[in-house]
Amino acid sequence: MATGEILAGYLAPHPPHLVYGENPPQNEPRSEGGWEPLRWAYERARASLEELRPDVLLVHSPHWMTHVGHHFLGVRHLRGKSVDPIFPNLFRYSFELTVDTDLAEACCEEARAEGLVSKMMRNPNFRVDYGTITTLHMMRPQWDIPIVGISANNSPYYLDTEEGMEEMDLLGKATRRAIERTGRRAVLLASNTLCHWHFHEEPAIPEDMSREHPQNYDGYKWDMRIIDLLRKGETREVFRLLPQFVEEAAAEVKSGAFTWMFAAMGYPEIPGELHGYGTVIGTGNAVMEWNLVKAGQAGRGAGNGGGGYGGGRGPSSFGSGDWRPGSADGRPRP
Amino acid sequence: MPAVAAFLVPGLPHPLLRPDNLPWGQLASAYKRAGRAMAAARPDTIILYSTQWLAVLDELWQTRPRVEGLHVDENWYEYGDLPFELRIDTELAHACVTATRKIGVTSKPVNYDGFPIDTGTIVADAFLNEAKAPLVLCANNIYHDWDTTVALGRVTARQAEEMGRRYAVVGVGGLSAGMFREEIAIRDDHILDADADRWNRRVLDLIERGDKAGLNAALPDYAKAAKPDMGFKHMAFLLGALDEAFYGARVHGYGPIYGSGAAVVEFRL
Repeated sequence: MATGEILAGYLAPHPPHLVYGENPPQNEPRSEGGWEPLRWAYERARASLEELRPDVLLVHSPHWMTHVGHHFLGVRHLRGKSVDPIFPNLFRYSFELTVDTDLAEACCEEARAEGLVSKMMRNPNFRVDYGTITTLHMMRPQWDIPIVGISANNSPYYLDTEEGMEEMDLLGKATRRAIERTGRRAVLLASNTLCHWHFHEEPAIPEDMSREHPQNYDGYKWDMRIIDLLRKGETREVFRLLPQFVEEAAAEVKSGAFTWMFAAMGYPEIPGELHGYGTVIGTGNAVMEWNLVKAGQAGRGAGNGGGGYGGGRGPSSFGSGDWRPGSADGRPRP
Repeated sequence: MPAVAAFLVPGLPHPLLRPDNLPWGQLASAYKRAGRAMAAARPDTIILYSTQWLAVLDELWQTRPRVEGLHVDENWYEYGDLPFELRIDTELAHACVTATRKIGVTSKPVNYDGFPIDTGTIVADAFLNEAKAPLVLCANNIYHDWDTTVALGRVTARQAEEMGRRYAVVGVGGLSAGMFREEIAIRDDHILDADADRWNRRVLDLIERGDKAGLNAALPDYAKAAKPDMGFKHMAFLLGALDEAFYGARVHGYGPIYGSGAAVVEFRL
């Protein structure tokens, strides 16, 4: 079996409003549109995903929050109707998906090997969360690529941001090893919003875009600062700032998907491609892509390339388990 | 007519799904005793506030006349499924949607096939509502503070009184929220933190004795020390709905659920 590789990672936020605005046949409510710049951003992301032709999409969702460890969908076929508990007026979506259970099992095993509590979810009646479904629909509405669904352990909230991010870092590295071991050509999806300050009431017409704008100016400035750094490939600086960003912008990246994805990719210092940015009930959402194939870094893994942090220690510093996102000086701790 | 019964109960599924495990079985037995007390009170409506029905925008009220389905808890799926079949007091729920404007809370009705009913609501209904009385279900808006939740409980109960309901009130949620973060031998389940355990017992003692002044004085420290489930807002809802008019309580059971604190409490009205 060929060694697997991560082809790309996408920041792929999950506001159900985007599905609602698109009016796909799977979703019951009908809209007049709305949030077009973000939906067009996803159109560009869909086109690049089509070119990559991955075997599997892995998605880490903050709306499957688990207390005891990191969980993986472990049922081959799941179907049902997902109604968003927060926005039931917008999202009532009939889904049917195929899980790459072999890869999910491998991810779970590798996570255990990293010392993380991890579990396979094997209940066939399980209702997949709307974050997972929204991100997957927006990236690949055909639903013809198997997926791996990963829960967001609540460690960043229950413990603190830094400890939680350390777990997500380990989870990312475990995910990468599982992909390599199983020979998959994989794409990672981090289902996270950036600034998460939002309005507390919904307009009478949810898609009335005259009511849509950033809820918080400081949060917007934070988003632009982070996106600017990501576009320049300044990954190290982004992760140095991450705890402050989380604190001051209530950024949803706290839930771990963003760190998981970057850890799996080896924190590449490559420019992220911004497909688009927009607000949804005031929150900041960016659709971004890190294409490791185009950057010549696919298959190089965390320990094998992608630049390095920490005083010329080189690439090996990624794979050594000593990277601590948000450490005071942005460098790995001893 | 004021409430005919009121209960504080846990919302995690363990007592319902795994009563064979002794620590959880004791809570299940306590829950069944509370269920008998509920049946004896013969409410024609049960107002139920569960910390696990989370809202972010507005206050949400279930207004679908019949809600049925099969729920699987996102954390505890290995213990089994949770079938449910609920009747809703839609007239009272709609009245509450309107009435909360008086306290500055915007409310919305929820009437959708497939809407995800939370675990706490299903567990409490299963244990306490053998007669299948209609329910009024309202969400825990995570941005509502203690005082807003007290006001929400009060306005809901007043609305039930104005409509002549013989109603019961149930606050569904846990005590200290700290849980084990790893797999445990479930027969050895215990409260995660000894200090939280002491605080839980102290608060239950105050409730049991009907010491409302002492309870109100202790609650801020309890919130800091034991980090109760969702800031103990299910108790805030109960205090508001009862207008603090209880003179004591009976603790049918207290124990651990995966390290967190859980109690089945019947208020003396």
